[in-house]
Amino acid sequence: MDESPGLSDQYRKASPWPVFVALGLPLSEIGLVFDLFPIAVGGLLLFCGSIVGLLLESEYATTMWKPLIVMSGLLGVFGGLLIVADGTTDVTLLTRAYATFAAAIVMALGVVAGKLFVPKRGIPT
Amino acid sequence: MAINAQIALTVFMGVLLIAVIAWLTRIEDWRSYSASAGGVVSQGERSEYIEQEKPAGIVRWLTTVDHKDIGILYGAYGLFAFAVGGLMVAAMRIELATPNTTFIEPAVYNSLLTSHGITMLFLFGTPIIAAFANYLVPLIIGADDMAFPRINAIAFWLLPPSAIMIWAGFFAQPLGLGFGPAQTAWTMYTPLSAGVGNDPAGGAGIDLMLLGLHLSGVAATMGAINFIATIFTQRDENVSWANLDIFSWTILTQSGLILFAFPLLGSALLMLLADRKFGTTFFLTDGGNMLWQHLFWFFGHPEVYILVLPMMGIVSYVLPRFAGRQLFGFKFVVYSTLAIGVLSFGVWAHHMFATGMDPRLRASFMAVSLAIAIPSAVKTFNWITTLWNGRLRLTTPMLFCIGFVSNFIIGGVTGVFLASIPVDLVLHDTYYVVGHFHYIVMGAIAFAGFAGIYYWFPLVTRRMYQATLGKAHFALSFIGTNITFFAMILLGYGGMPRRYATYLPQFFTLNAIATVGAMILLVGQIIFVWNLVTSWLGGKRIESGDPWNLKEDGVHTVEWQWLDRRIETALTDGGDEEPIADGGEVRTDGGTESDDD
Repeated sequence: MDESPGLSDQYRKASPWPVFVALGLPLSEIGLVFDLFPIAVGGLLLFCGSIVGLLLESEYATTMWKPLIVMSGLLGVFGGLLIVADGTTDVTLLTRAYATFAAAIVMALGVVAGKLFVPKRGIPT
Repeated sequence: MAINAQIALTVFMGVLLIAVIAWLTRIEDWRSYSASAGGVVSQGERSEYIEQEKPAGIVRWLTTVDHKDIGILYGAYGLFAFAVGGLMVAAMRIELATPNTTFIEPAVYNSLLTSHGITMLFLFGTPIIAAFANYLVPLIIGADDMAFPRINAIAFWLLPPSAIMIWAGFFAQPLGLGFGPAQTAWTMYTPLSAGVGNDPAGGAGIDLMLLGLHLSGVAATMGAINFIATIFTQRDENVSWANLDIFSWTILTQSGLILFAFPLLGSALLMLLADRKFGTTFFLTDGGNMLWQHLFWFFGHPEVYILVLPMMGIVSYVLPRFAGRQLFGFKFVVYSTLAIGVLSFGVWAHHMFATGMDPRLRASFMAVSLAIAIPSAVKTFNWITTLWNGRLRLTTPMLFCIGFVSNFIIGGVTGVFLASIPVDLVLHDTYYVVGHFHYIVMGAIAFAGFAGIYYWFPLVTRRMYQATLGKAHFALSFIGTNITFFAMILLGYGGMPRRYATYLPQFFTLNAIATVGAMILLVGQIIFVWNLVTSWLGGKRIESGDPWNLKEDGVHTVEWQWLDRRIETALTDGGDEEPIADGGEVRTDGGTESDDD
């Protein structure tokens, strides 16, 4: 019973998200560096989605829509930068930019769908 | 073909994401915190498993954010990497038993050389320190947990992918993926590593290694921020800066070093990656090679202290326990830790004395490099003085602590010579350097790690290791280390260059001796692993929170008091015994002076 007197048992001692944050980051890196479109999109979705999960779990956010929109925006900006840089590098960065946009668009669509179809719970009707 | 590959990758990612979502919906109640639109989620809505208990089985280890569990994960990971790195070097030493190529091809030797270094420094050294720090720092300073438990978990889970990427070339070759492991040595000097020509040093294996290293750097930085925040903000009210224990001081200093060193490594790695993949020329123009060396060693030398300072902390913490007294000159040990931390950023160019850099600049780096010997010596004299007239008990952790001091002196003194420009120009790139730094990384850092593992083994497992096997491990490690690395120092005096798979016949005898030493080390480490595994599974259970009889000498520190309480509570099955206030009985290394003797 005494897992540890003096240590708090009030906070959650388990979270499913860290392992996926740590999986999503290398997948997106590999996808973007080696120009593997599906890996980049999937990795970015996993990475951003898991961060949103963490934010919700630790109650830094109350709904997932705002963080998703912010991340979608950040990815959009990053993709834009890749397009701007495209002309200056030896290799083309376009597919990498498209992968970033694709992940951003999927998240943005998720937000739209969520806003439209997920009922607001927790509010008395 | 390319389209098929794209489809296969798409299917793979799709299946992976669906599997992740399916797994999450099984264990996590999503509704508990979605769309509550500002409302506070009530406790009842949360999934049960998290609130009440840790989940069972493998899921517990995959989802834990408890600092003790993460400490154990770090420890298991570090020891696994230690075994991998150790087996790599065993193969290399077998090859070096004879002057010509007999056992492995030079290209394989180069790959093993690269991976051995990176594995031992980034995948064993840094994580094993994080193992001790995660488990112990919150306990010792009276914190509930780390300041950011989830970030703690992320920092750990970044390491397995990073190891896979660093070792990827070894898997890719047999799988026919068209690239092999990196052959750049751990220093990744350009232009070799920058991919010029046909990129003979590893191709995509280097890219993956750079990404893996970058990830491990991100992990180390996240961990460092967490430790700094924890030590600054989560201390129990009875733990002040004045009586903060020596181990936490060294972890705090180390975290500061990581905070300044690792992001720089990360940036340099990304620049190198950009040179390789995107056609930038950071390191390919005039001066690019020097730029890489400056950037790399600005990280690389503090890295040495990132590894050694916490290990010195462990020795400063454990050694006095078996000398029956407090650490001599506690304050000065702390000051010297801080001094080393600051000075460590002013010595990097001593790795570059032979590059043809400006001699005036070189002299200043020589001065600072020699100066860093002073705080190191302060520590050494303090350890020796702690032993002086103490009531010594030669337990296994104590033997490793004493072995640490002994090896550290040899490693340190050989280092002082290397800090001197004229001597360095003669010995640069010889086996003398290899012998010197292995006295530190194996003879000191790994020894202190062993001391810590044996000392806190009962705390983590509530069982005792087998003492005879522990002492055999020490004897073989100590003898093996000194045979192997002293032979290397002599080889260096003879002028044998480092990093080659073959050598001139005149170096045969000493190389054979070094290989024998390495095999002795290997046998010692097999005994160590056997001892750990069998003792964890079936070792003698400890009956109290004082398996080392520390109470006798009045040095029963907080982590053992914590264990005492755990065992007592377990015995009384949750009886309502008075919790002992930490403050009353805090016995850290610092604070109160002891006149036990």
